[in-house]
Amino acid sequence: MAPSADQHARVIPGGFTVLSLRFSEDDAHAALHQLCVKEHRVRAESSTNRPLDRTLFVLNVPPYCTESVITEMFSRFGPVQSVELKERPGASEPSHSGLTKHFTDKHRQCFRVAYIVFRHASGVNAAKRHPENVPLVVSTAERPVRTGIHKWIQQYSDSLIKASSLQQDIDQFMNDYDRQKEEVSVIEGSVTPPRSQTAPRTHIGRSLISNISSVSDIAELRKKFEEDKQRIAVLRAQRKFRPY
Amino acid sequence: MKKKRKESTEIKTEDQMELLDISQNEEENEKKSAKQSQDSKRKAKGTVSDDGVLRPVKLSKKELYKAPTVEELNQLKEAENLFHCSILKMQMEELLKEVALSEHRKKLVDSFVQQITDFLQCVPESEVVELDDISWLAGVEVPFLLVPSTAKGKFHMEPPASISLVGSYPLGTCIKPKVSVDLAVTIPASILHPMDAINQRYSRKRALYLAGLARHLSFAKCVGSLHYSCLHGNRLRPVLLLKPPGNDSSKVTLRIHAIPPPDFLKPSRFHPQKNNIRTEWFTGVPNTQPESSEPPTPHYNSTVLGDHLPLSHLQFLSAISAQCPAFGEGVALLKVWLRQRELDQGAGCFCGFLASMLMAYLLSTHKVGKTMNPYQLLRNALHFLASTDLTENGITLAKNPDSKAPSLPEFHAAFSVVFVDPSGHLNLLADMTVFTYKRIQHEASLSLTFWDDPTVDGFQALLMTPKSMLRTYDNVFKLVNLVKLQTSCKKLLLLNELMDHSGNYVLTALPFVLSLLQRGLGERIHLLVHSLPQDPEWPVDSAPPKHKDQPPLSIGLLLNLEHALSVLERGPPADNPKAAEFRQLWGSLSQLRRFQDGAITEAVLWSGNSISHRRFIVLKIINHLLELHADIPKSCIIVAGGQLDDVIACGIQNHTTGEEESLEVVQSYDDLSRKLWQLKDLPLSITSVQGAHQALRYTQVFPPVPVRLDYSFFEKKKNRLGLVPKENNPCPCYIAPIKVIVHMEGSGKWPSEPMAIRHVKAAFHICLRELLCNQHNYRCHATPGYLDVWKDGLVFRIQVAYHREPQILRESLTPEGMLIYRDNAEAQALELETLHKPFLTSTLHGLQQQYGCFGVVCRLAKRWLASQFLLEDIREEAADLLVASLFLHPAPFTPPSSPQVGFLRFLHLLSTFDWKNNPLIVNLNGKLTAVEQTDIKNDFVASRESLPTMFIVTPNDKKVSVWTKEAPSVQMLQRAVMLAAESLRVLETRLDSGEKQDMRVAFRPPLEAYDVLIHLDSKQVPLLAKAVDPPVNTFQRGTHGGQPYASGGALPVIDYDPVRLYLSELRDAFGDLALFFYDPYGGTVIAVLWKPNAFEPKPFKTSLMNARRVKVNDDVATTVPNVEAILQDFRIIGEGLVKRLELRTEKWVV
Repeated sequence: MAPSADQHARVIPGGFTVLSLRFSEDDAHAALHQLCVKEHRVRAESSTNRPLDRTLFVLNVPPYCTESVITEMFSRFGPVQSVELKERPGASEPSHSGLTKHFTDKHRQCFRVAYIVFRHASGVNAAKRHPENVPLVVSTAERPVRTGIHKWIQQYSDSLIKASSLQQDIDQFMNDYDRQKEEVSVIEGSVTPPRSQTAPRTHIGRSLISNISSVSDIAELRKKFEEDKQRIAVLRAQRKFRPY
Repeated sequence: MKKKRKESTEIKTEDQMELLDISQNEEENEKKSAKQSQDSKRKAKGTVSDDGVLRPVKLSKKELYKAPTVEELNQLKEAENLFHCSILKMQMEELLKEVALSEHRKKLVDSFVQQITDFLQCVPESEVVELDDISWLAGVEVPFLLVPSTAKGKFHMEPPASISLVGSYPLGTCIKPKVSVDLAVTIPASILHPMDAINQRYSRKRALYLAGLARHLSFAKCVGSLHYSCLHGNRLRPVLLLKPPGNDSSKVTLRIHAIPPPDFLKPSRFHPQKNNIRTEWFTGVPNTQPESSEPPTPHYNSTVLGDHLPLSHLQFLSAISAQCPAFGEGVALLKVWLRQRELDQGAGCFCGFLASMLMAYLLSTHKVGKTMNPYQLLRNALHFLASTDLTENGITLAKNPDSKAPSLPEFHAAFSVVFVDPSGHLNLLADMTVFTYKRIQHEASLSLTFWDDPTVDGFQALLMTPKSMLRTYDNVFKLVNLVKLQTSCKKLLLLNELMDHSGNYVLTALPFVLSLLQRGLGERIHLLVHSLPQDPEWPVDSAPPKHKDQPPLSIGLLLNLEHALSVLERGPPADNPKAAEFRQLWGSLSQLRRFQDGAITEAVLWSGNSISHRRFIVLKIINHLLELHADIPKSCIIVAGGQLDDVIACGIQNHTTGEEESLEVVQSYDDLSRKLWQLKDLPLSITSVQGAHQALRYTQVFPPVPVRLDYSFFEKKKNRLGLVPKENNPCPCYIAPIKVIVHMEGSGKWPSEPMAIRHVKAAFHICLRELLCNQHNYRCHATPGYLDVWKDGLVFRIQVAYHREPQILRESLTPEGMLIYRDNAEAQALELETLHKPFLTSTLHGLQQQYGCFGVVCRLAKRWLASQFLLEDIREEAADLLVASLFLHPAPFTPPSSPQVGFLRFLHLLSTFDWKNNPLIVNLNGKLTAVEQTDIKNDFVASRESLPTMFIVTPNDKKVSVWTKEAPSVQMLQRAVMLAAESLRVLETRLDSGEKQDMRVAFRPPLEAYDVLIHLDSKQVPLLAKAVDPPVNTFQRGTHGGQPYASGGALPVIDYDPVRLYLSELRDAFGDLALFFYDPYGGTVIAVLWKPNAFEPKPFKTSLMNARRVKVNDDVATTVPNVEAILQDFRIIGEGLVKRLELRTEKWVV
């Protein structure tokens, strides 16, 4: 791929390179999404998941691009080690390690950001130099990406699970859980944390005051009178007294 | 959204424009005059913000506890003791201010009256001509139906003997709107002849004299418009309506009555048993009978007699009102009350004059005191009306009637309702039917119950809410083509009555037709009412309208749902003498039948397989009786309504509207519930099984229908897990999972960590699955979140719940190891599902048992919300509560007993409720006391800002309004209000038109305002057949006809709706940029509205790049939505479902 004059990468203020993305290759006139990519550069983050020189930070990843689709797409810049998709940029969170697939919550189907870790630093640079007018393609003949009815039927089919496999998951989790519990109780000497006892507030005040004295009676009436007066004024302002 | 809001306000302003124009000048003037009285209120006004929102009142301690003055004490005490509460007193005062005539208006009236009086004094005299020669009138018509045309006598014009104001204006009881001032013009004695009482001669001369005045007035410059009308629909008493010219024309109407000199004819000649119209003259057939056998003409007599009395009545009323300072205001309130109930106009009405007379009666018999205030006067008048049956025990104002005056029994013999005037000769209620009086009584007693209920806003219910026929009565029938009533008169042999009513066959036949219906409908109805024939109005140069030209009459019914839908009319035993009567009434439909209890009786059996069919039995009865006894063909009776049910029709074959289907679901659920309770070998026992789905409270718009599957239509998943949709087939039929919450007992075995609880619940699902499968052979599918059970062709989704789980979700540990509770969304959502929903479902299930048509009204209301794309904002439960409030708090109506009236009131509630300043309190099971309700209102005002836009309170949910917390937003509520008002208007005009019209209009959403329409492939829309306008072609969706299997078989495709999946993906992806609207019941269009603020260019940010594109200008990067790519994504995400995109506006495409 010899870069010609019009095939320069487009870099915008902020240091992001704009890549374009097309859903399928048969439709040459289709509108393109713009992916903004940049090397990942957050010093504070000591996470080993995102090595600074080899991680590419990608903005605006459409919902139909799953981890595997992105891996495929970005492999043209060099071998991809891992892909992490998130709803918004931020520190990487450890995934719920203990959870089996039946119990993990489904993520929202929204636009996301991706952290792509290449095996070599060269992958990041290749991506950053990629010209805008050569779009990446999501769904190709070799690896078609299914959306719409196909996808939903597949989803439905996947949602039918065998009770035995579910039971296995449960058993596994409960075993781990019980073991953890035991460990904790050994460490803490089976002391349960103290429950904060917020004493229910007793309304002693009210019962005392309601000892009817004529003064408070009048005050009550007055208050009500004022409230009513205000109510009327609002209604009058809205011309709510016209019976026609 | 902004765009649409603008639209709504525009509509409003257009409507109000006229009103404003009219009232503007006057308002200013009124302000000046009422300045003094308002000064005191100014202070209160100062505390009110401009946006019309209530703020909590803050009074300092000093203000609250300062020493009261005597005056203040009295005022406070009066307000509390006499008015129940001070607000009602203030409200009534405000209302009286609104309706009272301003000084400015009075001046205008006075000067207009003076001008007209002066002008009338100089009517030129004319030649004496024969009575039937009307050539001298030249261009002006006589306001009289000259039937029969012959009349003896002579006539000439002469200036009036006197002109004087009569009626409400001089009495001071005249109120806005429609200010009409009565002017009595006395016909000089020389024109009349003592024998004129006979054969309408007097009435014709009166009409001629009025025509003469009209001709003269047509030359006057001070007259704006000149029309004829007649007094309370009585064609023998025409009046002349005058309006001032120009801008003042709407401010006053002058009614000119021609009257004879006060003592011209002796009242004794008009005794109700005397005859004053001769049969020979009326029929034109020579009469061989002696004159003494002529039938009495009570109505004609009272018509002529009534003309003699206006002046003396005015004197009488003036004398009474002078004794009681609040008389005028009391009458004004009563008039407003009558007006809101459409009782103050037309033939046989209870007009303002009668209101004054009634008040005078109460005063003169000391039923009310002279020092009472207007509020007390109204209350006592209503109490009197509610408790006194004037059809049985008439009353009289005459203190010492002369010896010739008829007695009360004589009056009762001649008239249905009796209220005798001070002279003792005239029955003021001569024209009123029994049915109208019963209606007044019903209204009065209903009003009193609202008044006595401290939780009802009595003021609104009594004086502010109009009760139109359509919105008040369960069924309304229109009697069109009134000319048919002429044949009824013949069939019912009503010649004498027809003569008495001077040929007005509508008024003649009406009471007879109605009592026929009353007999036939019997205990099916609580009340039968009719609209009052309205006074016609026509220009002076055109002929008077014929009787047949009247607009259709409406007949309204309040149904007694216990009996109204019964298919059997059981009569007396065959040997009972009453059997003949029964047979006579029902004709050939009456048959001898033997019943299970052994009795053999006459009976009528109506057909009706479904409830929706049986709603038409009342119509069938009306049709049958009117055709049989009154010769009124079916085509003359049109139901206003009934057509609405179609939009929620379920079965095509049986024409059911879902009641039966709902019942079937509930029965199947009851069976499941029983089986769950009886399950053995569960590790923990079940503590409750509760339905948590709208189908289990009869309010699912289209209740799930049991299906039998066509297996060849589906793919089968391995391991016999269940069926899966085939890719190339149409989307299979939608099977809704019916949610059931099963609570398991608390026990130490439950873990105390949220994640562990989830796993234990999942284990329970598997456990239940095994048991149900083994013990009852149900096909089940367990997932971590729920267990689906395939039973009787329905799917129940069982969700196990643990009562401590929400609590545990709120627990968290502080770094110090303290256990604290923090509310969070997850816990709330769980509570909503496992606590609030089941509770609401069982409560509303109970409401359905109490009010038979609660469910169907809910379903109609929700069908409307869905069709207008509102059901996602006003969610199912909120809508159900709105409808529930119509049944629990029906004031000023009675609880609806037909789908249509309930639906109309739902639209009215939604469009008029003041959501900004009031919580909607739905007092389920009557658990909230009046004090609690007041507290709720006060709390609401105090924290309005932080509460949801639509705030619905129930006994279990006083502070949060769980169902409306998330939605609707202000804008969506505003749109809902606008759409409801518009739909109500369209529906009511259509229903009122007396023709069969397309009612679905109100269910078709306006699509103009949207930016993009996504048209869907109807093949993939599972509920296509439920669309408002169902398509001609439907698709095979994998079901067989025939009885579904009770258990076993392969697990069907459950809860698979591609459109919903598509919508959720669209909202996930583009929720920040656009709003998506859809009718979940068979809609084939998704409407998209771009959010305007999302389209402003924003500076480039990593957190704000989704679906946007970058533009660089002078080294500054900004982003805008990438519209083309987004539209492309609409297609990609909805592959196979989206047919085409329609771009409505180009403006966003950059």
